[in-house]
Amino acid sequence: MADAVIPEQSVVGPTSADDDVLRVEHIAKRFGPVTALRDVNLHLRKGEVLGLLGDNGAGKSTLIKILSGFQKQDTGKMFMHGQPYAPRSVDEARATGIETVYQDLALIDELSVYHNLFLRREKVHRPLPFLANREMKQRAREALDEIGINIPRIDVAVARLSGGQRQAIAVARSINSDADVLLLDEPLAAMGAKEGAMILDLVARLKAEGRVSIIMILHNYVHVLEACDRVSMIQDGVIALDKPTAETSVEELTEIVVEEYRRARQQAQAS
Amino acid sequence: MAVASDSTPPASASPKGPAKSWAQRGGALSLAQRFLTLREGSIIVVTLLVAIYFALNTSSFLTTANFKTLLPYFAPFAILGAGEVFVMILGEIDLSIGAMYLFAPYLFYKFNTSVGLPLVPSVLVALIACMAVGAFNGFFVAIVGISSFVTTLGTLFTFEGLTLIISHGEPKETPGAQVHATTREVSHVVNGHHITLPEQVNHISTFAKIFGGGVYSELIWAVAIVIVLQIVLTFTRWGLYTVAVGSNKLGAAEAGIGVRLVTVRNFILCATTGGLVGILEAVRSGTVQPDTAGGNEILFFGIAAAVIGGTLLAGGSGTVVGALIGALFLGILHDGLTLQGTNANYLLLYLGLAIIVAMTLDVLVKRARRGYHSG
Repeated sequence: MADAVIPEQSVVGPTSADDDVLRVEHIAKRFGPVTALRDVNLHLRKGEVLGLLGDNGAGKSTLIKILSGFQKQDTGKMFMHGQPYAPRSVDEARATGIETVYQDLALIDELSVYHNLFLRREKVHRPLPFLANREMKQRAREALDEIGINIPRIDVAVARLSGGQRQAIAVARSINSDADVLLLDEPLAAMGAKEGAMILDLVARLKAEGRVSIIMILHNYVHVLEACDRVSMIQDGVIALDKPTAETSVEELTEIVVEEYRRARQQAQAS
Repeated sequence: MAVASDSTPPASASPKGPAKSWAQRGGALSLAQRFLTLREGSIIVVTLLVAIYFALNTSSFLTTANFKTLLPYFAPFAILGAGEVFVMILGEIDLSIGAMYLFAPYLFYKFNTSVGLPLVPSVLVALIACMAVGAFNGFFVAIVGISSFVTTLGTLFTFEGLTLIISHGEPKETPGAQVHATTREVSHVVNGHHITLPEQVNHISTFAKIFGGGVYSELIWAVAIVIVLQIVLTFTRWGLYTVAVGSNKLGAAEAGIGVRLVTVRNFILCATTGGLVGILEAVRSGTVQPDTAGGNEILFFGIAAAVIGGTLLAGGSGTVVGALIGALFLGILHDGLTLQGTNANYLLLYLGLAIIVAMTLDVLVKRARRGYHSG
């Protein structure tokens, strides 16, 4: 009886602001019989940190992969700085100013810390094709120091680093570029409390600089409320909530997820 | 455990003793460890041991003449191994080099004799054909998505068969490799007397001298190719991306590396080394020999050189210099056993055992390395 009062799932339509860096409208993506994204609308303002929430399989990582040019949406449009944005490759997305830190880190275990930091952006001794390893080492050291990440040796293979150090390097790699938009796919996964705090500090510092806009997938609601300006929640391939973090709470976010669960159970019972 | 502790000194003393001696030996130990954890470290040691063994046990091992006989058992495998390393770091394998080894010299022969192209352009055309086969391999592996073992097994048989068909299986004289013999008078001093005797001197063309006919020609090719490819592997984007794709294909793709391009490029390189070795060997021996047994044998020796040199079939890691040393190991073993008068039938047996031992060492060294650094 109480089940009957569960509200319908809300779907956030296309929204925008004057200072949008990135806008996403009606994105849909299927993988064979599986619908990953049904109708995703999203916008990201300049200097903003947007938290993206959602259960496993809700479509967060698919959305990130489409934004970063690694996969292509079936339908829907994207805009960067108001211009149509349809990257055909990761390189093209990067050239447009979108950098990504993937959940699976995209680090190369067998390569050194500094080679990983400069992967696909290697410095070479022009016009010769040889890698400028010394320059990359020095710049990597500077970049890591500036960010405040402590990696004792930057010429060891990243396979030898801890999960947190690896994540920190993956984040540092994207920050090291001059991107307008950073996509961080679960930057706090595989992190100890101390290392997680380090990454959140880093995000806070980037936010204070105001140069770069960030979309960050997180699981912990407390982290979202602490680190983000706004929160979007993906449920079942659509954005079900889009609110400034100041206007929401852990309770409200939890309630939305519980509702979704009840709705799914009700549907399962009905059928 | 209980039995052992009875005979050992009091428990408080035992941890101190070893700790001190470890600290004292730290310098030498870390040096040894550093050397052994070099990817080529263990095989260098094994190769040296084998060389010392043969130097002590045979009178003729350490002679220039023997070094010259050793070369053909070493240089071709070093070149093939060098190409194979680039494919194996990707986590792939290229079996087609055995076919390229037969196909390229025959094309070279055909373009020179039937089409009438000069020698060097004929070589180039033959090598370009090998590159095309490499591109074909790479296309099927990287874009169609067939396993490299299956793809290159297919091209191995296809191009060995094709070579047999177009050559009718008949050996041909290698163009440009003819030997002209002249006699000249050479004076010797024998027991204080000058005597003059006619001696036969063999002349070969400059082309033949460069492309395998000269005594050190193959050695020079091998060393040059190994140096260039090791530089490419260590100091250029090509090498960096090769390691990246072999170590984490998805990660490399997400970082924006063109995984397909890297794969195709390395298959082209590997097939080309197969063709080059075929031509060098045809010029050296003076015969274009469409013999599939020879092709298959050289294929496996080339892969053996790379594997013994520490390149992992699983991908992500390997060195070109390692392949050179692996080939040297094969050559020394082959040559030394022959000098020692070992029955030729034992050669493959020893070789097989040596590969297994080398691989086991490699695994152990890797385990030691991992244990050493996880602290």
